[in-house]
Amino acid sequence: MSASITAPARSAGRLVFAAFVLLALLVWPLLVENVFYQRVGALVMLAALSASAWNLVGGYAGQISIGHVLFFGCGAYASLLGFTWFEWPPIMGAPFGIALSLLLAVLVGLPTLRLKGHYFSMATIALAELARIIVVNSPSLGGGVGISGPAIPRSMADLSFISPLPYYYIFGAVLAVLLLFTWWMGRARMGFYLRAIRGQERAARSLGVPAQRYKLYALLVSAGFTSLAGSLYAAMVGFVDPDSGLGILLSVKMVIVSALGGAGTLFGPLVGAAILVPLEEFTNAAFGGDGTGITYVVYGAIIMLISRYAPGGLAEILARLKAWGARHAR
Amino acid sequence: MRADPPLLEARDISVAFGSFRAVDGASLTIGKGEIIGLIGPNGAGKSTFFNCLAGDRQPASGSIRLRGHDVTRASPEDHARLGLARSWQVPAVFDDMSVRDNVVVGAFLRHKRASDAAAVADRVIAFTGLAPIAQSRSGSLGTPARKRLEIARALATEPEILLLDEALAGLTPTEVRAAIELVRRIHAQGITLVIVEHVMEVILSLADRAVVFNQGRVIAEGKPRDVVQDPGVIEAYLGRSLSRKARA
Amino acid sequence: MILGQVVLNGFLVGAVYALFSSGLTLIWGMMNVVNFAHGDFVMIAMYVAFVVFTALHLGPAVFVPLAAVLLFLLGVLVYFSLVRHVMRGPMLAQILGTFGLALVLRYATLWVFSANFVSLPDNLLGPVVTVAGLRLEPSRVVAGLAALTLTIGLHLLLTRTALGSRLLAVAEDRNAAMLVGIRPDPMQALAWGIGAACTGVAGALIALFFYISPTVGESLALIAFVVVCLGGFGSVPGALVAGLLIGVIESLSAFWIGPANKDVVVFILFLAVLWFRPQGLLGKA
Repeated sequence: MSASITAPARSAGRLVFAAFVLLALLVWPLLVENVFYQRVGALVMLAALSASAWNLVGGYAGQISIGHVLFFGCGAYASLLGFTWFEWPPIMGAPFGIALSLLLAVLVGLPTLRLKGHYFSMATIALAELARIIVVNSPSLGGGVGISGPAIPRSMADLSFISPLPYYYIFGAVLAVLLLFTWWMGRARMGFYLRAIRGQERAARSLGVPAQRYKLYALLVSAGFTSLAGSLYAAMVGFVDPDSGLGILLSVKMVIVSALGGAGTLFGPLVGAAILVPLEEFTNAAFGGDGTGITYVVYGAIIMLISRYAPGGLAEILARLKAWGARHAR
Repeated sequence: MRADPPLLEARDISVAFGSFRAVDGASLTIGKGEIIGLIGPNGAGKSTFFNCLAGDRQPASGSIRLRGHDVTRASPEDHARLGLARSWQVPAVFDDMSVRDNVVVGAFLRHKRASDAAAVADRVIAFTGLAPIAQSRSGSLGTPARKRLEIARALATEPEILLLDEALAGLTPTEVRAAIELVRRIHAQGITLVIVEHVMEVILSLADRAVVFNQGRVIAEGKPRDVVQDPGVIEAYLGRSLSRKARA
Repeated sequence: MILGQVVLNGFLVGAVYALFSSGLTLIWGMMNVVNFAHGDFVMIAMYVAFVVFTALHLGPAVFVPLAAVLLFLLGVLVYFSLVRHVMRGPMLAQILGTFGLALVLRYATLWVFSANFVSLPDNLLGPVVTVAGLRLEPSRVVAGLAALTLTIGLHLLLTRTALGSRLLAVAEDRNAAMLVGIRPDPMQALAWGIGAACTGVAGALIALFFYISPTVGESLALIAFVVVCLGGFGSVPGALVAGLLIGVIESLSAFWIGPANKDVVVFILFLAVLWFRPQGLLGKA
């Protein structure tokens, strides 16, 4: 299994490729006139952002949250409640959303991250559902109807734009920060520890890895970024209700976007988002509202197939193809 | 009587699974620089006792001191920090990571910076002869390489005492010889060793002292040559075939 | 007296909770796999009852056994096609495998039956009888007593029969079971079959008095999680006690603080169990 290309040449090639992709990501929306495509582009970035945040705890640390919408909802609701109660620009609520998310992350993480992984999964789904029920039954939080942001933008601070382009770049910028962090983490002690915990927690602990603490760190960073994604989403859409801010299907989307591209890889969520979001938007555009139910049947089927055949997602399939190619090239 | 305080001292350890007493009042004192062989028939409690020493299981009663610290209820992480490392009976390598990255995880215990940890890992990899496969995915390795990787990973934590749980089981005679040679070199670095092993020859050729378990108790302790000729031990565990071998 | 009524109703619905939670705890205890589609299995059984009644005009004597058989087959199928392959895989696969299945079942049902709530007629089993001031709805009484009997029956099956001891042997130690000649695969498939059949019976029974909708499985799954965690995983008697307890607690909270908030109480209870006694109220520390 020794590589034939020398390491420096390979990493230089990668750098050129990465620069090219980055340039393409920056420029393409400017070349496309169609607002629908631009909007899809912004949604791809948003999905990639929340899925990359999920990926920290679900992919790298291997703790499968299926209630991550809880944090997304905290961000979205904090933003619009800030406006509703105090007439703040929506983004001013973001720090409060993040603070609440961190608090809830500790609440769910402390008791369950010391237990086997199933408990964490069950607790996340329960807490997310609990939050949804509480919101539905609280008129002061908009109840089942939801709450809105400013109808007319009052200043730039409202982050309310007609064109999807600014959102594309805002989501992209936050995503870039998160990916930089993830990249750094992957090469630092934290990344090694998280992957070790995911691989064999008992063995990791015997090497001095404080597993529970590192899992909690991953969850906290993840919850914070997911909450920020929620706040930005609320600023873009200017409306949130229990389904769009706390619905279980949003959690599902974070999971599937990440798992399809490759959970625990740096760019897996971005790849997953680039495939799934356009697919969903075009299906919805083509079939109207009838598409939604079917979309989730397909999502469920994809999740099952990934679990059964390629838990590493497309990244694993690609690696297998490469290995197969290398075997047959000889 | 030795003047130094013992490196690892277990007193009157008991562990019960339901009504079955897996370990029943076992004690063991390990001094710096020793190689101890832990032997006994299947189900004698030696693995459970071993796990208590390693901090992976808490005894129901008794106490364990590591370098003077009470670690009876301490976590495995704390044991590692205090200089105890171990291997697993069923190798537990991090499958998704390369051999080198596995070792780097261990090295991060005492070196916060990635470059320092990598340097330590490379030294350990060279020492354990894993250099040719350093970049392989550890999930693709066979059992002998996995066992060696576990030892390397444990060494990367720079331990004072290393606990090996059947690190030589399932190896071919050639591999066993190579592993014995590695254990000797580890010992030469000043690391104390505790070895659980089924292969009697390994204990005879490596250990300074053999400790025999049966039914959760220590039934004999001493020079390996003497222990294997102890009638009680032969009765409990070694059986006729092995007692013949020991005489031969 | 009204309090007695509330407790009785909670007890009867709790018996049904206990039955389907027993299925979850059996699977969980045996192979350390959580079936995240468990609530949706119950939902499928409810629709089996609904379809059999509305299309064929046949009563519970037909649709309860039918749902049991169909769900048994579904459980075995799911084991062989999915669970067997993911249970030794990474955590991601273990959890997302059945979670994906849950989504498929839920939204395929939504697609076929639409999101509308439906229900079976209240008086399917006859009119309400009042005994000593307590209103006895036949559908609730029959469902509750049948579920109670079957849960106890499951416990006896596991503890008093040769088949049960083979199942428990695999649960205890897969490798040791293989050494004494028990092949774990058929036993685990059987556990999935029995676990799913529990949801089949429970779903068909609860359909007698509960609303039916494609998303009902979501809250039922959470109830099953609470019951299993509270009762200690792998323990059928634990699930029975915890199921009855949850039924009564839920019923009392609906009575005291309103039906909309009864789920809140159950969820908070769940989180409290995870915080303070994750091994369950009856489990060993």
